[in-house]
Amino acid sequence: MRISCNWIADYVWTDWTPEEMGERLTMSGLEVETIDKMGSDLEGVIIGHVLDAHQHPDADRLKVCKVDLGDGDPVQIVCGAPNVAAGQRVAVATEGTVLHLPDRQDPDTRVPVTIKKSKIRGQESRGMICAEDELGLGEDHEGIMVLADDAPLGESFSTYLARGGVLTSDVSIDLAITPNRPDAICHLGVARDVGALAQMLVTRPEVTIPNDGGEAADTFSVRIDAPDGCHRYTGILVRGVTVGESPQWLKSRLESVGLRPLNNVVDITNYVMYECGQPLHGFDFDQVAGAQIIVRRSTAGETFTTLDGKERDLPTGTLLIADGERAVAVAGVMGGENSEVSEATTNVLVESAWFSPSDIRKAAKALQLQTDASYRFERGVDPTGQAWAAARAAELMRDLAGGTIVDGMVDCHPVQWEQPILALRHARITTILGIEVPRAECQRLLEAIGFGVTPDDAGWSVTVPPFRPDVEREIDLIEEVARLFGLEQIPVPSHGLIPNVRPAPPKPLPARLRLANRLVGMGYREIFTNSMMRVDLARRFASESLRGGESVGDVVATLNPISQEMAALRPSLLPGALQVAAHNLNHGQPGISTFEFGHVFDRSDAEGNVIPGYREHEHVLLLRVGSEGKATWNAAADEADIFDLKGAVADILSTLGVTEYKLEAEPSGSDLTRYHLNLRLGRRRLGTIGCVSPDLAAEYSIDAPVFFAELNFSRLVAATRQDGAVTFQPVSRFPVVERDLALLVSRSEPVGAMLETVSQYGGKLLLSHRVFDIYEGDRIDADKKSVAIGLAFGADRTLKDTEVDKAVQKIVGALGKQHAAELRS
Amino acid sequence: MADNLESTFAELEAAVRQAALSTAEEIDAFRIRFLSKKQGRITELLKGIPQLAQERRREFGQRVNTLKRAVESRLETAQEALIQAERSAPVDIDLTLPGRRPTLGSLHPITQTEREIRRVFESFGFAVAEGPEIEDDWHNFGALNFPPDHPARDMQDTFWIEAPDEDGKGVLLRTHTSPVQIRVLQEQKPPVRVIAPGRVYRNEAISYKSFCLFHQVEGLYVDQGVSMADLKQILNSFAREIFGDDVIMRFRPSFFPFTEPSAEADIWWRDDSHPDGGRWMEILGSGMVDPEVLKAVDIDPEKYTGYAFGMGVERIAMLRYNISDIRVLYENDIRFLEQFN
Repeated sequence: MRISCNWIADYVWTDWTPEEMGERLTMSGLEVETIDKMGSDLEGVIIGHVLDAHQHPDADRLKVCKVDLGDGDPVQIVCGAPNVAAGQRVAVATEGTVLHLPDRQDPDTRVPVTIKKSKIRGQESRGMICAEDELGLGEDHEGIMVLADDAPLGESFSTYLARGGVLTSDVSIDLAITPNRPDAICHLGVARDVGALAQMLVTRPEVTIPNDGGEAADTFSVRIDAPDGCHRYTGILVRGVTVGESPQWLKSRLESVGLRPLNNVVDITNYVMYECGQPLHGFDFDQVAGAQIIVRRSTAGETFTTLDGKERDLPTGTLLIADGERAVAVAGVMGGENSEVSEATTNVLVESAWFSPSDIRKAAKALQLQTDASYRFERGVDPTGQAWAAARAAELMRDLAGGTIVDGMVDCHPVQWEQPILALRHARITTILGIEVPRAECQRLLEAIGFGVTPDDAGWSVTVPPFRPDVEREIDLIEEVARLFGLEQIPVPSHGLIPNVRPAPPKPLPARLRLANRLVGMGYREIFTNSMMRVDLARRFASESLRGGESVGDVVATLNPISQEMAALRPSLLPGALQVAAHNLNHGQPGISTFEFGHVFDRSDAEGNVIPGYREHEHVLLLRVGSEGKATWNAAADEADIFDLKGAVADILSTLGVTEYKLEAEPSGSDLTRYHLNLRLGRRRLGTIGCVSPDLAAEYSIDAPVFFAELNFSRLVAATRQDGAVTFQPVSRFPVVERDLALLVSRSEPVGAMLETVSQYGGKLLLSHRVFDIYEGDRIDADKKSVAIGLAFGADRTLKDTEVDKAVQKIVGALGKQHAAELRS
Repeated sequence: MADNLESTFAELEAAVRQAALSTAEEIDAFRIRFLSKKQGRITELLKGIPQLAQERRREFGQRVNTLKRAVESRLETAQEALIQAERSAPVDIDLTLPGRRPTLGSLHPITQTEREIRRVFESFGFAVAEGPEIEDDWHNFGALNFPPDHPARDMQDTFWIEAPDEDGKGVLLRTHTSPVQIRVLQEQKPPVRVIAPGRVYRNEAISYKSFCLFHQVEGLYVDQGVSMADLKQILNSFAREIFGDDVIMRFRPSFFPFTEPSAEADIWWRDDSHPDGGRWMEILGSGMVDPEVLKAVDIDPEKYTGYAFGMGVERIAMLRYNISDIRVLYENDIRFLEQFN
C-alpha cells in the first residue's frame, strides 16, 4: 500500500526525512518497497501580475505580455494561452526554473524542461506563465491558471498553495503490508506506528458522531438478515450534494496513493478509507428502492451487475446489500451499477459496515475481484470504527460538496464487539526473545500503539484495541513488543548449545551424494529440469518401457496450472533431459552427457504412498548423445553407445552394493525406445537402460542415437544393504593364475549368456572373468564369431596347474554343451 | 721381432688410449676394431701366439690381456658416459602440446549451493530430513497455522491437485519444505534440530526473478529454552560461513503464520553502481515457532520453544555467482554449467 508523507504529517509530526521514516518502518515490520518523490516544490515559480498583454506582431495565437514579478523590474513574456489578460495574477516560471512538463506524445509521462530566456518569433521572452498541467496540479491545458486578485505579488507559488492546503511536492512510500497488520492499511494506522517509534502524539481529525436514530432513521431503514456475516451496518444520509470535481488538495492526496480522482463524493469515500481503513460505499439514495437497506445472502443462481458494468454469477450465500427490490452491492467487494453515484445524484447514503473477513474473502476469490474494500475487509477492519468513518465522510460531503447531513444515523449493530483481554507474562517475553526487555519499556511500547496495559504479578493484563483483530494470544503481544523494541536490539549470544541427539540422515541422502560425485567423475553433468509439462506429453512418457517393465498409473495434473504447457507432473525424467540435449546440440555442442535426480509422479492406489492415491519416487536419469568432447591430437572423439550406459549403471549398482540384479534385453524396444533393457532385482523393477526411438528423438530435432538409463533411485536405495559401509577383505598373498580362452560360437549366440555360464561353472577358484575380444571376419567361418574370454583363478594358497586345468575344462565343457562353443585352435 | 712387437703394442696401447669414443657409432667401431672375433686386433694378436717361441708366449699373452682389459675398460667407461649423456640430453617430445584432459562432468550450481548450505548447518549439529513434493493441506498449511480462507495463504500461491474443502482437506504441491518439519515433529520428540532441503512449487508468473518451482532449505530447532537470540546467533554464523566474515546482516520484523515473532534477514550487498554503495538483500525468513504449530504436533509450547528459518537455494546461488535471471538455472546450457566445474 502506498502512503503519502504529507498525509502522515496531518496526524503525527516527526523531524524524520522520508528515508529515515522508511528505515524506521521497515525495521518495525512495515517493509518499505520503494520511496518515490512526487511532484515538485516549484522552486522558481512565483506570483506575477500581468501589466499588459498585446498581440504578437508576427503570430496570431501568441501574446506579448509585460509581467511584474514584484521586484519593480517587469519582464517581457510571450504567452500562447487564449485567456491571458492584463490585470491577472498568475504563476510565472522564472528563468532557470525546471518544470516537469507533460510529454506531448504521452501526456502521462513528464520530462524536465529548464525555462530559459529565448526569442519567440523575434520577441524576447523571459519566463513562462503556467497552466495547471505545467505545474503538475491537474490536466487542464485550456489556458493559464488565473489566481485570486489578492495573491501576493512575488511570493513563491508553492508557499501560496500550501496556505490553501495544497502541497505540490510529496513523497510516496510503498509499504508491503503483511496479512497480520490490517491496522496498517491506512494512514492513521501507519501514523500510529510512526508515533510509537518517534514517541510523538498522534491526533485524529475531530468528527461529530451523530446519535443513533433521528431523522435519518425516519427516512430509511437497515435490516441485517445475515448477522454472522455483517456485525454492524451504519448509514448516514447527506442531501443536496453537488457531484463535481474535488478540490485540488483532495485530488493530490488520492493521486499520491495511486488513486485516480473521480468525483467529490467517490473521492471522499476513498479518502476516508485511506485515512482510517474503513471502506465506505456511497449509494445514490434516490435509487435505493423503498429507502430500505437489507443485508442478506444471495440465493442460488443469482446474478449481479457490478459498477464496472460486468454481470457476475454469484456463488450461493454471497453476502449482498439489497434495497426493497433488488441487490445493490456485493457486500464489501463492489457496488452495483444500478445505484452508483452519478453526476445527477443529489442525495447520498453513506454505508459504513463490518463484514466478516472469510465471507468477503470467499466472495472476492469466487468473483476474482480484489478491490480496495475487499482487501481491507478480508484482513479485518476495526469493528468499532464504522460511525466515525461514516460521520467523517458525511462532514466532508457537507464541506466539499455542499450537502446537508440528515440528522441522526442508522446504526444497526446486531453483534457487539467484545474486547479481548490477554495475560502477558514478563518472563515469557524473556524466554521467547532471549533478552529481558525492561517492564516499563514493554508497557510503554504496547500503550503507544493503543493497547491498554494493567500490571499484575507476572506481568500485565492487556486489553486489545479493536483495530488489531490479529492479536489474539500472548505470543502476538510478544511479537508487538519485539518489533517495536527492535530485533536488532536482541544480542547475539557468544555460546550456543547443541543437543546430543542427531538422528541418522535419510537413506537416500548419502547415496545420492556418492552417486552424484561418481557420475561427475564419469563425465556426466548434472541438470535441473522442470517437474511440470503438458498433460499429453506426460501421458506418453508414463510408460512401462521407462520403468523396467512396470506399469505406470495416470499422470498427476494440477487443477490450476500456470499454462497448459505445465499442467502435469513428470512421470519420467527423460523428457526434461531430451529437451536439454536438444537445446545444447542446437547450440553447437558435439554431444552431451547429463544426469538428474528428481521426483516422478503417478496416480496409484497402492499401499505405502505418503499421500494416498499418489505415488512419488525419486529417479535418477543418465543420458548420453553424440561424442564426448571433440577429437584432439591424440584422442579420438568418443561416440556414445549403449555400453557406456550399461557400464555406468553397473558402476552405480556396485557403488550401492546391489549385486543380484538382472537385465532383460528388449531388442525391439517400444514406442519410446529403439531397444532397451529392463533392470530387475528379484521381482522389483529398478529401471530401464535404452536407446531412444529415432522418431521420438526426431521430435526433439536430434538425429544422433540417444542413450539413457532411468533408474528408480528410491527403490535402489531401499535395496541397498549397508549404505557405504565396507568390510575389509584381506588381500591374498598368493599369485593369481590367468588363462585366456578363444571360443568359436555362432554369430547369434549372446555373449551375456556365455558369461553367465562361465561364472556358474567357474567354481570357487574363479575370481573374475572378462570379455577382451570379439572377432568376426575372414579368418573364421562367416556364420561364426570368436569370443575371447580372460579368466583369473586364485585361492588362499598357491594353485597347482592341474586344478586350474580342471576348472578351465569344466568351463569349456559347459560352454560347449550350452552354447556350442568350440575352443579355437 | 721383439722390437717390432714392442712397437706394435705401443701403437695399439696408444690407439686404445686415444680413440675418440663419444658416440654410439665410434664405440661400436672401436669394439669391432679391437674385439671382433673375426678381424679384431686382439683376436689377431692371440692368433699369432702359436708362432711365438715357447718362452715368450707367457709374457706376450699377459700383454695382450692387459691390452684387452684396457679396451674393455674404455668401452665400459665410454658406454656409461654415453648413457649418462643420453639421459641428460633434451628429449625429442613436443612438450608444448596440450595435455589429455579427462572428460569430467559437473554438479549443478543449485546442488553445489545446497550442499554448501547443508554443510554449514550439519556442522552446527543439524540433522537432515526429506519429504514428498505432493503434500496434503494439513501438513503444508493446517498444521502450520494457516487457517482455511486466511489471507496468509495468498503469500504462497499454490498448485492444487485436489481442491481444498471446508475441512481443510486438499492435495497440493508443497509450497515450502515446512511440512517436512511437521512430519519430523510427528515422529520425533524434542530436542529436534533438523534442516529440510527440497524442491517446492509456487503458482507465480515466470520471470527473471521467479520460477514456478525452486529449492528451499528450512531449519527447525525445538528444545527447552530456545530463544530469538539463539536464532540470531545461528543465522549470523551461517551468513558468515556463506558470505564471509565481514558480512553485515540485519533482522527486521515480518510475518509468517508458523512463526511468531517472525523476522526476515537481509544482508548488505555491496554494489558500487548503487548510490548508497550497496543495498539490503533479503536472504531468508525466520522466527520463533508459533505455539499453535507445536500444539498441532502435541508438543507443550510452555515447556518447549523453538526457532525456524527458511531460505531459497536459488536466491543464495544467484547472489554467490552473480546470476541475475533465475531461468538460466533451469535451461541447463553446457556453456553455463561448465562454469561450475
